[in-house]
Amino acid sequence: MMMTILSTKNLTKSYGKKTALSNINMEIQRGRIIGLLGPNGSGKSTFIKLAAGLLVPTEGEITIDGDVPGVDTKAKVSYLSERTYLNDWMRVSEIIAFFEDFYTDFNRIKAENMLKDLNINPDDRLKTMSKGTKEKVQLILVMSRQAQLYLLDEPIGGVDPAARDYILNTIITNYKEDASVIISTHLIADIEQILDDIIFINQGELVLSSSVDEIRETHNKSVDGLFREVFKC
Amino acid sequence: MLGKLIKHETRATSRIFLPLYGALLILTIFTKLVMAIGAPDFFSEAASNNRVAEIILGISFTLYFILIVGICVMTMVMIIQRFYKNLFTDEGYLMFSLPVKTWELVLSKLLVGMIWSAVCTVMIVLTFFIFSLGTFSMMELSQAIRSAYSMFYLQTAMELNLFMAELALFILVNTVASILMIYVAIAIGQLFSQHRIVAAFGAYIVITIALQIIGSVFMAVLAIGNLENLVLNGRDAMTTIHWLINGSTVLNVLFGIAFYYGTQSIMKKCLNLE
Repeated sequence: MMMTILSTKNLTKSYGKKTALSNINMEIQRGRIIGLLGPNGSGKSTFIKLAAGLLVPTEGEITIDGDVPGVDTKAKVSYLSERTYLNDWMRVSEIIAFFEDFYTDFNRIKAENMLKDLNINPDDRLKTMSKGTKEKVQLILVMSRQAQLYLLDEPIGGVDPAARDYILNTIITNYKEDASVIISTHLIADIEQILDDIIFINQGELVLSSSVDEIRETHNKSVDGLFREVFKC
Repeated sequence: MLGKLIKHETRATSRIFLPLYGALLILTIFTKLVMAIGAPDFFSEAASNNRVAEIILGISFTLYFILIVGICVMTMVMIIQRFYKNLFTDEGYLMFSLPVKTWELVLSKLLVGMIWSAVCTVMIVLTFFIFSLGTFSMMELSQAIRSAYSMFYLQTAMELNLFMAELALFILVNTVASILMIYVAIAIGQLFSQHRIVAAFGAYIVITIALQIIGSVFMAVLAIGNLENLVLNGRDAMTTIHWLINGSTVLNVLFGIAFYYGTQSIMKKCLNLE
């Protein structure tokens, strides 16, 4: 098994004339929880979408476990989009059946337990749910997979603090040792305690890539503090 | 995975269509019953002695007509909407993260769209059949069909079966090509960063015009030297029509292939979900 789960070479993505990501080179190892941090519009979502295979790079390359995004990588990657992508007319139980059908690594029991913990009725239709509840359902679906790479785009933005703690706990306890989790967010203080590594990006460029321990040692600051310093307006 | 996609696509669409077809069947049977009890001669005689039955029938035939038109429009809307909304809006985030190939996504939508188009046709024929129950005997019907076959052979020197099969193939290929043309137009629309729906409409219109031109050239080539045959009745005209149908089928196959590959390669190489 390759130790590197995700690697990019000169990864560049532009939309028309606007460059969203430019020349990103990085390697992400297995068994880490990585915070992908940056201000709004810095290219976090673009990076995650490229890794999920929803966008095609303009230049350069991105590989997951050695392969460019495709059917094989999508089976290994569990992606939480920042959009609510679920069909409104479906019941939670139906969307669980959908995931179970397409992802062989989906664990139904895990999903049902998490629904119970967060007081979500599997027979409810998504239409009747609040935005926050829908986000919880999506996160439960994504975390119920035994994936090798989790790509979580703003996973805690819309949910209440109590659920936030539960979700973060789920993220730490749910993934296998050889899997990695990439979390994109600007709510750094909330997730700081679970991160192993951080990647700062700004205006499409890699600013800093380091382990959290290193930051605490060399800068003598919390990640949140460093972020505020680096991205000072 | 194609099978699973088709299963879920059918599930997503049947929740709309099954109630519609259920309503159509109930309305048809109800109308037929009113007709049978209150106005058995509804189709043959203009005047009837049962005013109430006449009024009920008037209303239910109007409803029937609205329902048929509604179902046909709905089938069309569904074909467009399932492709556009499910793949290119927020729902696309889920569909494109599934471990399936792009062509499987396209084909699953296409096949299910085809199935609903076929169901639409079959159901309309079925309602006609229900309405006309009791107004003819199976004997007469089979006799009429048999005489149609021999008449057709006498006039054209062609087997009616062959002609019907060719016509059916033409309709099938034409339906597939029309659906794929909508798909490719939507996919082309996605290449634009803004006003994607407008761009899709524009692409559709441009393709239509291009096809009209190609079709006209094709017709012109075929018609040259065959003009008097077309005007004349009988065997020669039939030969020309025969060629026209099969020629259009071949053209549509070519167009369909082009649309399919166009759609698929845009989705694969230039996917840009908003």
